[in-house]
Amino acid sequence: MYGFGGTVLRINLETGQVRRSPTPESFAREWLGARGFVAKTIYDEVPRDADPLGPENLFIIAPGVLTGSFAPCGSKLGFGCISPLTNGHADSNMGGHLGPEIKYAGYDMIVFERISPKPVYLFVDDDTIELRPAEQYWGMGSLDLEARMKKDLGEDFQIATIGPAGENGVAFACITHDFGRQAGRCGVGAVMGSKRLKAIAVRGTKSLPVHDLPGLTKHTYDIIQRTKPHPNMEPWQKYGTALFVSWANEHGCFPSRNFQTTVHEGWEGISGEKLAEEVLVTHKACFGCWMNCGKYSRARIPGKPDTYLEGPEYETIALCGGSCGMTDIHHVAYANYLCDNLGLDTMSGGNITGFAMECYERGIITKKDLEGHELRWGNIDDFENFLRMIAARRGIGELFSHGTRAAARKLGQGTIAFAEQAKGMEFSGYDTRWYSAQLLSYCTADIGAHHNRSWAITADIELGQDTPVGKAPVVIYLQHIRPLFDTWCCCRLFWGELDVTPEEHVDAVRYLTGWDITIEECMRASEKIWNLTRAHYLERNGGPGRKHDVAPLRQLEEKIPNGPAEGKKVGTENFNYMLDDYYVNRGWDKDGNPTREVLELLGIGYAADNLEKRGLLGKPVPGGIPKVRGQKLKPKAM
Amino acid sequence: MVIYLRSGGKLRDRLQPDVDQYTRRVEVEGTPTLREILTSMDIPHALVAFGFSQGTVRRLDYRPTEGEVVTLQPPVAGG
Repeated sequence: MYGFGGTVLRINLETGQVRRSPTPESFAREWLGARGFVAKTIYDEVPRDADPLGPENLFIIAPGVLTGSFAPCGSKLGFGCISPLTNGHADSNMGGHLGPEIKYAGYDMIVFERISPKPVYLFVDDDTIELRPAEQYWGMGSLDLEARMKKDLGEDFQIATIGPAGENGVAFACITHDFGRQAGRCGVGAVMGSKRLKAIAVRGTKSLPVHDLPGLTKHTYDIIQRTKPHPNMEPWQKYGTALFVSWANEHGCFPSRNFQTTVHEGWEGISGEKLAEEVLVTHKACFGCWMNCGKYSRARIPGKPDTYLEGPEYETIALCGGSCGMTDIHHVAYANYLCDNLGLDTMSGGNITGFAMECYERGIITKKDLEGHELRWGNIDDFENFLRMIAARRGIGELFSHGTRAAARKLGQGTIAFAEQAKGMEFSGYDTRWYSAQLLSYCTADIGAHHNRSWAITADIELGQDTPVGKAPVVIYLQHIRPLFDTWCCCRLFWGELDVTPEEHVDAVRYLTGWDITIEECMRASEKIWNLTRAHYLERNGGPGRKHDVAPLRQLEEKIPNGPAEGKKVGTENFNYMLDDYYVNRGWDKDGNPTREVLELLGIGYAADNLEKRGLLGKPVPGGIPKVRGQKLKPKAM
Repeated sequence: MVIYLRSGGKLRDRLQPDVDQYTRRVEVEGTPTLREILTSMDIPHALVAFGFSQGTVRRLDYRPTEGEVVTLQPPVAGG
């Protein structure tokens, strides 16, 4: 088979047994890799009542079809499991260089089963697979450990690690690689830690079989030549994603002080320009990328050691910065470093700390809960203390270690109204009160409020920011096209920013694999994955689906108090209108349950059978399901 | 005065390039701001995150000079 390593690896951590099997080509073509492989495998194999941090959950690592292929930016690597944060399907991915290395070692998916009796790390050197003792590494920070393992094993090993937060089962713990690339969301680091798997070290020296090497080489070369002079290239290279801090503030979607408002006083101090002026050390690229949007930085704060980190990216600036009231780029960079080394997702970590700061401001938590410390907006020492309490699950850190939704449920006192999350997943760095399509995206996503499932902010601008009409079909289209990149495993920035079309990515898949695959087939695969993970979520959490697609009250009914979006809110009525429209356009029933008709059309009738057994199958839709589910936004003509 | 605006992605559809695939030649009177130029071209300000010229970010109150090439950067998700 072309384009793949050829082997699926299964490792029983309890017994140490390693099993190899050939990657079935039919499986590879149907699910394409990474997010697709994970969705199908977890759906088939994890019992519906399995504890996310227990032995029955699987922990899966899977590159995608384009990973390591020299197609543009084929750097990505997927991780998957059942999420301890959402109790649903989880997948999260990272760039860097580990994905290609796994493929060059010959592996398309590594499935970890059960729990190791002692801390271990996985050592892969082509065909040599070993579980090695990791007691000496246990307790180390993610970044510190990567540096140590590079010393111990050699620079040519690619390494992924977890920090103390992952070891301790914090529900939003992440996995780190390449000194700052993370599989950040869904708590994949907690599941890795629950298996007592501290790290993965891989060296792969085999070649990847390519069906049409001259064709793929020319295809990629042509894209390189075309994108080099692209107008967006230079700003991206200079500032990275931090570019958009200014715009988000000027247009009323930047989260300030736990999303209390959407323009952050002092945002200029944490902007992309400030990053470039004050903390940037050098630019950094993932495998196969000529954009170099990664920023390697140094944080300098009097009284603290200088720290080096990759970032901060826009999302980290928004959530550790704006949402926690920070106005100094060095403080945001240091917060980024803390999250990375403790092994916490900067997005959930920043979001939940902002939430806790508001609880502190309201007197719901006090100095007594914080071991004598305060938790003031913009105070980096308070931020650090709180974050360390979470990572260690110490004191009130234990309560917050389960995520914002779980913390709000325990705290009570109306805190759930300002817990900015959906399905337990903390919001990404965009307030949605003037961007209702983005709110719909967050609340209907299988993993909760993550922008990479669908980023609909510009769709809101194009369709009208004050109307819910026409949003749902566009969100569905985005939910199919955007996560498709998590299946191919190439960076979506070349699509979004440099005009490399999805069709060109499919061309790369064709050159690589020899398949006669089309964009329509890929979109259908993406829709199939979406419906499968929806079914899986309902099978684990009960129904109806609508009860899970819930927005925070702050986003629905609390008006933005100031700034360019002053007075804006989505409104419950508008949100319900969008949900109704969304379900109709997906071919689901009015309760948000997938119907047999749509599941069978997508080739996953078994999911309909499973839903039916549990009384969760959607009722047939009068008049049948839409022929096309989702609609691409057509830019308005001048 | 003549300036040159460049853009890719969805903004390019609105810009309607006429010099090369990304660039449009624009004649303006006086020394208007980028914001005023966008308004005159019926491009929503919200779809432009900022301008970029000579290696520097230009806010929408920036006044381009004769012959200047300004990239219009759209807002995107990231990080």
